[in-house]
Amino acid sequence: MNSPITAADRFAELQEQLAALEARVDQSKQLDRLSLIVFSGSLDRLIAAFVLATGAASSGMEVNLFFTFWGTSALRRENVSAKKGFIEKMFGWMLPQGSKKLPLSQMNFGGGGPLMMRHLMKKKGVASLEEMMQLAGELGVNVYVCTMSMDLLGIKENEICDYPELKYCGVAKFLEAASPGKITMFL
Amino acid sequence: MTAIDARGKLCPMPIVLLAKAAKETAPGATITIQADDRAFPEDVKAWCNKTKNELLSLAEQSGYFEAKIRRA
Repeated sequence: MNSPITAADRFAELQEQLAALEARVDQSKQLDRLSLIVFSGSLDRLIAAFVLATGAASSGMEVNLFFTFWGTSALRRENVSAKKGFIEKMFGWMLPQGSKKLPLSQMNFGGGGPLMMRHLMKKKGVASLEEMMQLAGELGVNVYVCTMSMDLLGIKENEICDYPELKYCGVAKFLEAASPGKITMFL
Repeated sequence: MTAIDARGKLCPMPIVLLAKAAKETAPGATITIQADDRAFPEDVKAWCNKTKNELLSLAEQSGYFEAKIRRA
């Protein structure tokens, strides 16, 4: 005859099940984290990225910005010389040298559009892109730059602007950071 | 008590200034913020919800909003 299941046995079994479930809840817990892929190198999209980033950081979220492809132009310094091959040099001339040289994705009008946009922003009390980048640094927004894009476009590390604890990374780092986060967007 | 004048500044500045002030304010202390950004009433409610700070009052003055917040 089987021995009867005692209350103590049953209790131990339930405790075990509870521990297993708790571990699963911990694993699937989403972090209050915003991850943005900043692919675009246009002023309007960069403004959107930094409004989101500074707003989220101000609301207590952890924020990671991953700059890739045309987005890396926004982080360039002006007039920095770096050793480059012919095609890299051509890219260097054609890509915007930093946030102040970015075109608009629409209504660029050969560079007149961004000037008009910046004028309007100032007039209406919207913080400039450079002010928001500065604020992002103060608020602890993490900036990562895709090394593949930099190598492809021929952008060297000495061309990248000063930003607190800026890091260089690849896709795996982005995925690791973004996976447990609540919000991930591509701009 | 901390007072912020964010009038004339649009999104996200009122919230950014509020967050910066909150960082330097002791728990229990009150922060007063004035803003005329149209998104401010909803934004300040959302910010308080998200950051667990207490919205004591939110009123419309002539041409701007004023919110009082108790630091959690």
